[in-house]
Amino acid sequence: MNAKQMMAVAIARHIENHKTYIIGTGLPLIGATLAKNTHAPDTNLIFETALFEGSPQEVPTSVSDLRNCYHASVLWPQYRYFGFQALSMRSGAIDCGFLGGAQIDPYGNLNATSIGDYWKPETRFTGSGGANGIATHCDTIIVMKHEKRRFCEKVDYVTSPGWLDGKDGRAKAGLPPDKGPRAVVTELGVLRFDEGRRMYLAEVFPGATVQEIQENTGFELDVSHAVEAEVPSEAVLSILRDKVDPLRLMI
Amino acid sequence: MTSAFEMERLAMRESRDKVMTARQAVERFLHDGDCLALGGFVTNRRPYAMVHEIIRQGKKDLYVEGGSSGGDVDMLIGAGRVKAIMVAYIANSGYTQVLRCFRRAVEQGRILFDDYSIDTQTIAYHGAALGLPYVAVKNTLGSDLSAKWGMSREERLRHPKLTPEKFLFQENPFHPGERLCLIPTPRIDVAFIHVQTASPDGTCRLIGPEFQDVDIAMAATRTVVSCEELVSNDEIRRRPEQNSITGLCVDAVVHLPWGAHPSQCYAQYDYDPGYYREYDQASRSDEGFAAFAEKYVFSHPDHDSYLDALGVSRLAKLRVEPCYGYVPGLKRK
Repeated sequence: MNAKQMMAVAIARHIENHKTYIIGTGLPLIGATLAKNTHAPDTNLIFETALFEGSPQEVPTSVSDLRNCYHASVLWPQYRYFGFQALSMRSGAIDCGFLGGAQIDPYGNLNATSIGDYWKPETRFTGSGGANGIATHCDTIIVMKHEKRRFCEKVDYVTSPGWLDGKDGRAKAGLPPDKGPRAVVTELGVLRFDEGRRMYLAEVFPGATVQEIQENTGFELDVSHAVEAEVPSEAVLSILRDKVDPLRLMI
Repeated sequence: MTSAFEMERLAMRESRDKVMTARQAVERFLHDGDCLALGGFVTNRRPYAMVHEIIRQGKKDLYVEGGSSGGDVDMLIGAGRVKAIMVAYIANSGYTQVLRCFRRAVEQGRILFDDYSIDTQTIAYHGAALGLPYVAVKNTLGSDLSAKWGMSREERLRHPKLTPEKFLFQENPFHPGERLCLIPTPRIDVAFIHVQTASPDGTCRLIGPEFQDVDIAMAATRTVVSCEELVSNDEIRRRPEQNSITGLCVDAVVHLPWGAHPSQCYAQYDYDPGYYREYDQASRSDEGFAAFAEKYVFSHPDHDSYLDALGVSRLAKLRVEPCYGYVPGLKRK
């Protein structure tokens, strides 16, 4: 089992049957497809391109990939998706969305825009995509590489707001106060947010250590609640490797 | 006073035959300094053939409403034709996660840019299509999309195509205590979209994922449609329930089979992994990009020549299998 496979399993564990998830490409899609093929066959996957509830049979490379249309319910014009997303605050129609980024701070604020000075960046990335709207309206699960330069005290640019500066941060900014990041999944473990909305270490993956995670985190991390993550069964791993991504595009 | 150009344009909008070549459509309807919007989404139904023609004709100083841009917009940037990009996303997803001409242009300060999100742009384009002056949303609150402007107010004042304010913030007048971000709807001069079927009067049948195409086609002052298949006005009106854009919103119809290559086109063809891999390598330097543009754009007088160079066998392998809607087992890495 490699690190990406464990991440896919951890993502799948956050997905419940009959609920609806906003999926990007990459590992979240692999994790969600694994969940659909194991404990959550009736999970609904939706894409910000307004392609609803498809069952991709091959790994899509983009949220607009025609592979996401397979067995979909509707191919809506995109604005309807964004209405559905905003209305989910009232309707409860979306359980959560998956996001990624280049930098994250202790409150789950994410940078996917640039490193260094925004106007004269050292490294420019592609930007928000649909992430800002997801972070505005929905609970999120964040998938990140666990490196010291990525887990930093202050991100260079807030592309997607997490809990901002703590418990009251979102309310002060005018954001829905009870929506925000639930968990961060990395190749080393799972992190969650405490009462004060600050990140803590919740689970350590097989082969990783608390010390290694601390060394790769650029801010002070509460590790007192950390437990060892459950090792995935061979049955689950073989579904992941042989059925979900046999071409190993993502894992 | 209505200008001669505007008179001609209005006469053309009423015409039952708007069919012309790509060269004629770009010559007539796109001007230097225009605000431009392009249809599709990253690697799906991007109007590549029309963008090739824009690059060939040297149109420049464009303000691009980026939405979910693909390699087509990156080529406009690489060719030095973009003055400012309003960007939410620009990738050939699966091949190049951050398109390289865009990245170099931003890192080297060669382009004006401002950051949006796909949600705010989609909602703003829809607002523009409804004739609304601005939209009021919660999106961007608490983030640097609203706190840091890529172009300052002073910079924006130098560009009549832009509003002086990127966003404004207001309390909801109907529900006091609720904070909102006001986003101006863009005034798009020209939209280029690629559809499966169109008729000479401009009626379009766009099937599969629509993305933002109908909205930008409605919102733009001038709209150029390229199509896989050109059918008669009578034929397309036999099934109006399948049509999505009236010709009353369209100025030009250009018949360009494979006009979205290398991107996907629903019910027609899959993306071309070989092209995207080649672009990923070539666009790593200005010189590499220039050679790529020479090979795929400048060395061809028109789209027919481009298709001949690609060859029938290469394209035939990209035809979707109807029961899947894509090419099963397509070698993508």
